[in-house]
Amino acid sequence: MKKRTKLTICLGVICALLVAISSWYTIAYNNSRFIVPMDLSEYVFKVQDLPMIISGVFLALYVVYLVVLLLRYIMTNRRRELTLQSTRTINPKLGFLGLLGFAGFLGFWTYSVDKTIFPFVFFLFFGFFGFFYEGKMSNTFIDERYKENKMKAQSVANKTSLSIIFLAILILGQGKLMDSLEYTLIALVIVVALSLALEIFLSEYLLYHYDNDEQFDESEE
Amino acid sequence: MLDFECRLKKYRLLKDLTQEQLAAQVGVRRETIMRLEKAQYNPSLKLAIDISRVVEAPIEEIFVFK
Repeated sequence: MKKRTKLTICLGVICALLVAISSWYTIAYNNSRFIVPMDLSEYVFKVQDLPMIISGVFLALYVVYLVVLLLRYIMTNRRRELTLQSTRTINPKLGFLGLLGFAGFLGFWTYSVDKTIFPFVFFLFFGFFGFFYEGKMSNTFIDERYKENKMKAQSVANKTSLSIIFLAILILGQGKLMDSLEYTLIALVIVVALSLALEIFLSEYLLYHYDNDEQFDESEE
Repeated sequence: MLDFECRLKKYRLLKDLTQEQLAAQVGVRRETIMRLEKAQYNPSLKLAIDISRVVEAPIEEIFVFK
């Protein structure tokens, strides 16, 4: 395992331990302050709050560290992609991650319990079904036909997704879905999440089909 | 619309090249050469020139638009 990966995991474990210990301390000796909801505008500092404050600061720093790592990874990857000769190798089984999209249905339950609509965002994960087709195109030599097909696939996927979002905004933007602004917002979140998932999936699916669909004998002639 | 005819196979065989060899020399996949030979793909100007150099035949002889 790389040194940086080990460091990241160690820091994560330390942060989790700190949060766990400080949470136990505040529950046992500090009336669960910072765990139960509290009005921060009337906050008065107490020495017993220190463990929660310190673990909170460490956790925030760790999240910032993760974000920086992620950004650096994206930038390095983009630079590497420009000079790549062939597509990345991934396992088509990663397409099963698309099943996480079903977690979006949790939103209907959380909304009925405490009006939380965030889980609807998980519909985005349906886009991960695209990994199946990306996996099938693993290690493909990137020639001009591949680039052309990729641009065509992305263009069709973008147009389809944007058309759906455009129509949804036109219709839902009137805010009159079942005479409820909340239902309108929920419908909009669902439609946008599903459209983006469709775009992610379609660009891989169409690329695979444009590249392989023409039916003919592929034997050497 | 113009009809596209590709005579690449004829010139490739004249040079005694396999699809794989031609693909490697012009920097594309064998499948791209196959589609070219079946006139199912329009090559870029650069690819057309590269192919014409490898098979030593004029572009307008290999790729014909009627």
